[in-house]
Amino acid sequence: MAQKPPTQPDDGHVAVSIDGHETRVPKGTLVLDAAAGLGIHIPIYCAHPKMEPVAVCRMCLVHIERFPKPQPACATVVADGMAVTTDSAEVTKIREGMLEFLLLNHPLDCPVCDRGGECDLQDFTFRYGPSVSRFPITEKVHFNKAVPLSEHIELDQERCILCWRCVRYYDEITGEKEIVLEQRGVQTLVTTFNEQPLRSSFQGNLPEVCPVGALTHRQYRFVSRPWDLQRTAGVCPECSYGCNLNVDSRDFEIRRFASRDNPLVEDMWLCDRGRYSFPKWNSTERVRRPAVRPRAGRARDTAVGEAIAAAANELRAVIDAHSPSAIGVMGSAESTNEELFLLQRLARDVIGTRNIDHQLGSFDGITSEEHALGIAEIEECDALVVLGVEPEEEAPVLTLRLFKAQHKRGRRVHRVARDADPAGVVKAMGATTLTGVIADETNREHAVLVATALARKGAVRRMTVTRGVNGRGAKDLGVLPNVLPGYRAAPPGGKNGREILEAAAAGAIHALLITGPNAALERAGELLDRALQRAESVIVVETRPGKVASAATVLIPGHAIFEKLGTVTNIEGRVQRVRPALPPAAQTPSDTRVLAALAAELGAKGWERSDPMSVNRALREAVPAYAEAGSGGRALWTAERVA
Amino acid sequence: MIKELVLGLRFTITQMLRKPLTVQYPEEQKPVFPRHRGRHILHRYDNGLERCIGCELCAAACPVGCIYVLAAENDPKNPVSPGERYAERYEINLMRCIYCGYCAEACPTEAITLGPQYDLAEYRRERTVVTKAELLESWPRFAQARGPASPVGAGADSTARADPDPGISPRVAWDAAETVHGAPEAPQPGDLGVPTHVPTVTEPESRDRR
Ligand code: SF4
Ligand code: SF4
Ligand code: SF4
Ligand code: SF4
Ligand code: FES
Repeated sequence: MAQKPPTQPDDGHVAVSIDGHETRVPKGTLVLDAAAGLGIHIPIYCAHPKMEPVAVCRMCLVHIERFPKPQPACATVVADGMAVTTDSAEVTKIREGMLEFLLLNHPLDCPVCDRGGECDLQDFTFRYGPSVSRFPITEKVHFNKAVPLSEHIELDQERCILCWRCVRYYDEITGEKEIVLEQRGVQTLVTTFNEQPLRSSFQGNLPEVCPVGALTHRQYRFVSRPWDLQRTAGVCPECSYGCNLNVDSRDFEIRRFASRDNPLVEDMWLCDRGRYSFPKWNSTERVRRPAVRPRAGRARDTAVGEAIAAAANELRAVIDAHSPSAIGVMGSAESTNEELFLLQRLARDVIGTRNIDHQLGSFDGITSEEHALGIAEIEECDALVVLGVEPEEEAPVLTLRLFKAQHKRGRRVHRVARDADPAGVVKAMGATTLTGVIADETNREHAVLVATALARKGAVRRMTVTRGVNGRGAKDLGVLPNVLPGYRAAPPGGKNGREILEAAAAGAIHALLITGPNAALERAGELLDRALQRAESVIVVETRPGKVASAATVLIPGHAIFEKLGTVTNIEGRVQRVRPALPPAAQTPSDTRVLAALAAELGAKGWERSDPMSVNRALREAVPAYAEAGSGGRALWTAERVA
Repeated sequence: MIKELVLGLRFTITQMLRKPLTVQYPEEQKPVFPRHRGRHILHRYDNGLERCIGCELCAAACPVGCIYVLAAENDPKNPVSPGERYAERYEINLMRCIYCGYCAEACPTEAITLGPQYDLAEYRRERTVVTKAELLESWPRFAQARGPASPVGAGADSTARADPDPGISPRVAWDAAETVHGAPEAPQPGDLGVPTHVPTVTEPESRDRR
């Protein structure tokens, strides 16, 4: 090896030269990553940024000085003074040979292949491959096409290049081991054990893991070409974990969700519930026209301005006849932070009621402590306690993070009953300096007991898996009867969601203001029916037709999450942006404007700037943690800020 | 002077006796050259199956983007084309086409060619968006149902998501929605998603890219 220059102190870095370019990289870096740092592209198939190297595909072979044979860049660790060549005639010849070999029995049916246009085999053949093959196309060995592996995944056996990524995905990422390679040599096939269908809840990642068009989504079969898709960065709307994804739409319909790697959140893996949930956002069953349907009088469709004026009149009538506290306000965990912020200001400052909530359950004693544990920090905890199966059912990708903490980082994961005896948990734990306690909204009181008991052993951080994509934002921004934005204590006397409905059903609350699709509200069932029937006026800003929309005395169409601009907050407090990927189905102003217009009708001043951007600015002024979080950072709460 | 008169008349009379050059278009049409690039034709195999496999490569090659292809999966018992995939919709906006022939060159199955037809004027603009039924070679057993062009396809002026009760187009509404309280102020650097190193941004990048 070349002598290390004496001027360089040992700082944990080594000097390598790649194609004559010198660089210093940390010890243990792979040649592949060192080259990427220099902007030198090395083609890979079996290597994957989230998996351990196996070096089976031999596509990344490079020449390293003093090595007798070419070495795989994906599995060779840099050494000091190493000189790597990727652009020599030798390497070019190896690449051409590898590609010719991979294409030996490849069907070359790119025109009908769903991967065409975003396929590594296509791209690398175009860039590095030979222009012709020496093997006659008529002598290719053929295998089965379109073999269903499950209701979601289709396998084209001919297109597989045997990179093992799918097998390793199940071994290393989910631990479910559902896919194997069987047979040998040219007959090697990817298959499942005993031809069982795949049962994993994370199958949807397979087509993205596969570098070619062998594994494809059934739901995306022949749907579009990648260049026809309009890509919008978004956030998964199915749960509060806040997985980053790309919304791919064509002809104003969402055609697929693709992962958008954020190592701090979902680490590029989506669950099937989220990934395959997109068709519902294309639904044409939407509230499209504003309507005024007074309890006594004729129902009619109106212009949105008229509907807002009617809503203001009804609210004013209730305030005059009774009091502001005869009004109940229900937000939704599916609204953006901007809408929730405006809604709680409308309720508290303009209407003057304390009855505001976004859920039915009680959140007594809520503090920011419940959300202190970050998603990536799970890997840093010595031990993790998961109370019940609900957290992982609610946010499935959490399971993959726990698996990674357990198997890659050697952390201990204890899955205990949702109401496990705190003393027993402590006993089972052993020594720990930092423990993570993960619970869901329904057993948060119990999580406090467990955390308190564990605190004797060392530091404890808690995570509460909230319900609804923006369940966390609703709590941060005070859409709760007992806290104001930033977890400041609210004046007492506010009713929570269930109490609002009960009071409305009993005739004590006369007007309800309900925004957004609210799954929690629909779970109230018969109580909701009674409340909606009894209330004198029900003002609804809603996207979907249903019980709430049909009971509305004033109905204003809302915009769905993929039709608007704003931010949502995930369980760890990460404030992430959502952007319009579709034109709104309803031809009305965005929800923030509707709320602001309603406030203006009620006589409030200073609500003119109501586009989501301006509201976001106001929100950041009011809630400093959100200003610090910016877009994509975590809103962190310190004790003094909460106080 | 007489001489000039005679010369002039001679020219006139020779022209009068020649066969006329004028073609009585549109009743008469002259044949075009074999490689003339006129209106497109979608071809079939000898057994009647469509050659087009809905791969969208023609649409990708088209420099003006006037082809719209929507693919679908063949029913193996009753296939439209050989193989797994066929074009469920195939539309060309002839008003935008520049008759360059790139689509024919890109096609892997020689399904599309530019044919001899050049009289493409229409009384209605919508009719200049030709659908698969009009483009396909006719075939006795494989009649195509003729329907209107899709609302989102090659000739779309609508940008609509399906609306059972169509009013003003959503694009118009979208713009209108943002101007209810006057035009929104341009986002400032440091705002939600606006990088600080960019001095000003006049348009939120979220708008539809089409
Ligand atoms: S896997 Fe890639 S190279 Fe193979 S047919 Fe599909 S697009 Fe073409
Ligand atoms: S199916 Fe795809 S991921 Fe699996 S071995 Fe084949 S090419 Fe690799
Ligand atoms: S002839 Fe040229 S412009 Fe016309 S459809 Fe074909 S590729 Fe497009
Ligand atoms: S005409 Fe040819 S290029 Fe166009 S979609 Fe059909 S097969 Fe593909
Ligand atoms: S990528 Fe290195 S051997 Fe496969």
